[in-house]
Amino acid sequence: MRDVIVIGAGGGGPVVAKELAARGLDVLLLEAGPNSNRPREQWTHLENDANNPLTGFLRFGPADRSKPAWFRDTPQNCFLWQVAGVGGTTLHYYGNSPRAMPGVFAGYGGADAAAYDVGHLFPFPYSELVPYYQWVEATLPVQTAPMGTKEKLFLAGAGTLGIPVQTTKDTLRSGYRPQENAILQPGGTAGRTTDPALLQHPTATGCTFCGHCVHGCMEPISAPQNLFAKRSTANSYVPMALTADSWAPFGKAVTLIADAFATQIQTAQLNGQQAATGVVWRIGATGDTQQESARVVVLAGGSTESPRLWLNSGLPNATDSVGRGYTDHYLDLLVGVFDKDTGNSKGPASAARCDFPGYGCIQGSGSGPSMLAFALAFSNSGIQGSYSNGGGATGPWDGPAGRRIGPALKDTLDHGIDRLMAVLVITDDDVQPQNRVTLSGLPADEHGKVPRVVFDRDARSARTVRNREFLARQSAALLRGAGATKVYRLDFPDLILHCMSTMRMGQSDTDSVLDANAESRSVKQLFVADNSALANSLGGSNPTLTTQALATRTAEKIFTRYFGGHPWVGHESPVVSTDQRVTSALLARGL
Amino acid sequence: MGMLGAATSAAGLLPSTAYASLGDTLNALRSSLDSFTRDTFNGLSVFVVPGPDAYSRAQGTPRPEPGAMEMATTPFLIKALDGSFPFPSLSQPVAAALASGLAATPLPLPTAGLSLSEVEALGPITSVDQAVTYLLRNNQTIPLSQVVALLLDFLAIQVNPASAIGPFQSPFPRLTFAQKAQAMSLLEGGDSNLVALLDTQLPQSAQSSVSGFLKFIAGALLEFAAAGSYSEFSVFDPATRTLSGRPLGWQLTGYLPNGLVEGWDDFQGYFQNRTEVTS
Repeated sequence: MRDVIVIGAGGGGPVVAKELAARGLDVLLLEAGPNSNRPREQWTHLENDANNPLTGFLRFGPADRSKPAWFRDTPQNCFLWQVAGVGGTTLHYYGNSPRAMPGVFAGYGGADAAAYDVGHLFPFPYSELVPYYQWVEATLPVQTAPMGTKEKLFLAGAGTLGIPVQTTKDTLRSGYRPQENAILQPGGTAGRTTDPALLQHPTATGCTFCGHCVHGCMEPISAPQNLFAKRSTANSYVPMALTADSWAPFGKAVTLIADAFATQIQTAQLNGQQAATGVVWRIGATGDTQQESARVVVLAGGSTESPRLWLNSGLPNATDSVGRGYTDHYLDLLVGVFDKDTGNSKGPASAARCDFPGYGCIQGSGSGPSMLAFALAFSNSGIQGSYSNGGGATGPWDGPAGRRIGPALKDTLDHGIDRLMAVLVITDDDVQPQNRVTLSGLPADEHGKVPRVVFDRDARSARTVRNREFLARQSAALLRGAGATKVYRLDFPDLILHCMSTMRMGQSDTDSVLDANAESRSVKQLFVADNSALANSLGGSNPTLTTQALATRTAEKIFTRYFGGHPWVGHESPVVSTDQRVTSALLARGL
Repeated sequence: MGMLGAATSAAGLLPSTAYASLGDTLNALRSSLDSFTRDTFNGLSVFVVPGPDAYSRAQGTPRPEPGAMEMATTPFLIKALDGSFPFPSLSQPVAAALASGLAATPLPLPTAGLSLSEVEALGPITSVDQAVTYLLRNNQTIPLSQVVALLLDFLAIQVNPASAIGPFQSPFPRLTFAQKAQAMSLLEGGDSNLVALLDTQLPQSAQSSVSGFLKFIAGALLEFAAAGSYSEFSVFDPATRTLSGRPLGWQLTGYLPNGLVEGWDDFQGYFQNRTEVTS
């Protein structure tokens, strides 16, 4: 019997696993997708090979790429973009690690307190999470992003918006700044050469400006995995978890099983209450089913799979809250056309941002041609110049919002990938019950009924829509301020990649699955530690850092409530994931 | 009687082929429908990424530089579709319904590219709807790409009935750029004729999923065509994970002018020389 089983090795699960392993608990970490710990042998820097959602090595699908991807029922124009594998969606994330807006937490007393999703606040104050932010920021580590050509352009454009520069990690007012990124700053020759012979570790350290964040980071060449520039959990928390005995005084190394898709959370009546007792999973390569028992189960399969597993396990859902309140930041994109070099395809994908408390954020978004072609064809407003689906908003951009297709697509892209710059709109969107995960009526797969993800775009709240329009206008102004000769707005359909709040914690037991400790209200000994545990969309801040801070706090709650331990955040100093002891243990054990 | 029943009955009226074995007939039908499907997807691919080819000329937007036909977008889309929706129990009734809908405007079954024996094996089956119905009647699976081609061609005929005949092998490539946009508008908007046609064949529990999937497909066709065109797909060898040449999308956009890199010399310091912020 394990102390703890963690389901899912994405952005949140490995945080709990590492923290509890450092306390000496016996932790089993399950991951449905592959363990790509030899990325030079498994990955490329190629766009379709990486991110084709059906066949790419960063798809949501089994380790064996000859097998089909796992199907999700998404009955609307949308794109649900998650990654299966050790590291989960942090494998392709941009490492952006802003803290949440303080106004989305209980007890906030700022003058703009009414500007947020006040019906769905976190059930504790922002100040309570700050020490956990600091712990995670030191562990990953999170650092101020360097500038390349596109950041210089973005920040010049942002400087025309009439907002100040932000120089704190806390976002207290509107402002612009380089990103705080979970990416190691460039050192040695990194960022200073294109010669691959000079980009070997340790001649080069940290970010080499290769431009491939979204294809999974494996830079610099020959670096040990915990020294790769981008701090996906595969490069940070998982190496620490697997080597906990080497760097923590009482640590016990985590057992990691990849290619293991959890299909059931087992429960029993304990002390008059239903409680989690174990997990059943299926090994993809063999089809075999395995089971282990545990004192505590931590669900961290992501905002789509966590409610799916809950429902497929037949766990209670008396208030019908499971799966509801899906938030996704109602993303949108504006693309500027320039007559000068933008450096769009180079450097960390997103290294500069603007925050607008009460509205959300906008940030630079670099990419290669395939992803930008996808984005230019991705709209809920039909085809620009042809039809609009009732959308086609006009504003300080050129023409109505909509896809650029045919000659328009080629005129834009063929202008040059490095003469374009995209700004991503990250909306502070409201928790709304109709945006949700249920079980699909389509035939089940080998893991049970498949998830059905529904976003009712037409029913988005007035505040959500207002926020998105505000941010789109700010983005257009930024691009014009940076010198764009043309600006196009896409009006994205739901691009569901900041997947949040489907198993949310909350103040009320009628609309939240989790209590303030991230423990299930209805099933004891069962915690949730992925983005689905978030109470809301964080005011529009990218979610990973907050999920990781919350997961650290959740690990403490587990340790103190069920294992008689004491809190450590604020009492001890964190070990950074690049620590030499982690590196040495990884190399010595061939991990 | 549902559409599937009607379609099956129509096929039931066909005389069995006296010229070939059942296996030969099925193979010939599949070859012909494959060709028909590729033709329809050629019309879609150049709609998104036009080039110097005949399909782009036909829609009225020829371009001198390479386009989707040179970028292998059609095989990219067909491969993607046929790996994306593992529910033949639902896609097959959709195929049957579309075949029934197309029966009112029989589309000639293409024979170009077929061998003489294959043409003979087709026997009396001369239209696309008959071919689909015959395959279904013989428990053959219609790949999703073929279902989507039928969908696009059904819409093409709605937009322009004259597209039922003409150059190429299928209606969709015969549309102008504006007409293709109109067809996509119908697909995205959940065209009432199309939905009514499909709903007759599907169990009620699946209707919203399938109509929702159509909206998803409408977007995905355009997005995937764009993404696939500008990716390395056409020159990538999955076995060796290497490129056999420079992808056309890279050439057109100036991406990675000297090939793959492990880093760029684009580091330009820190904004206001600030390397860290206060906690």
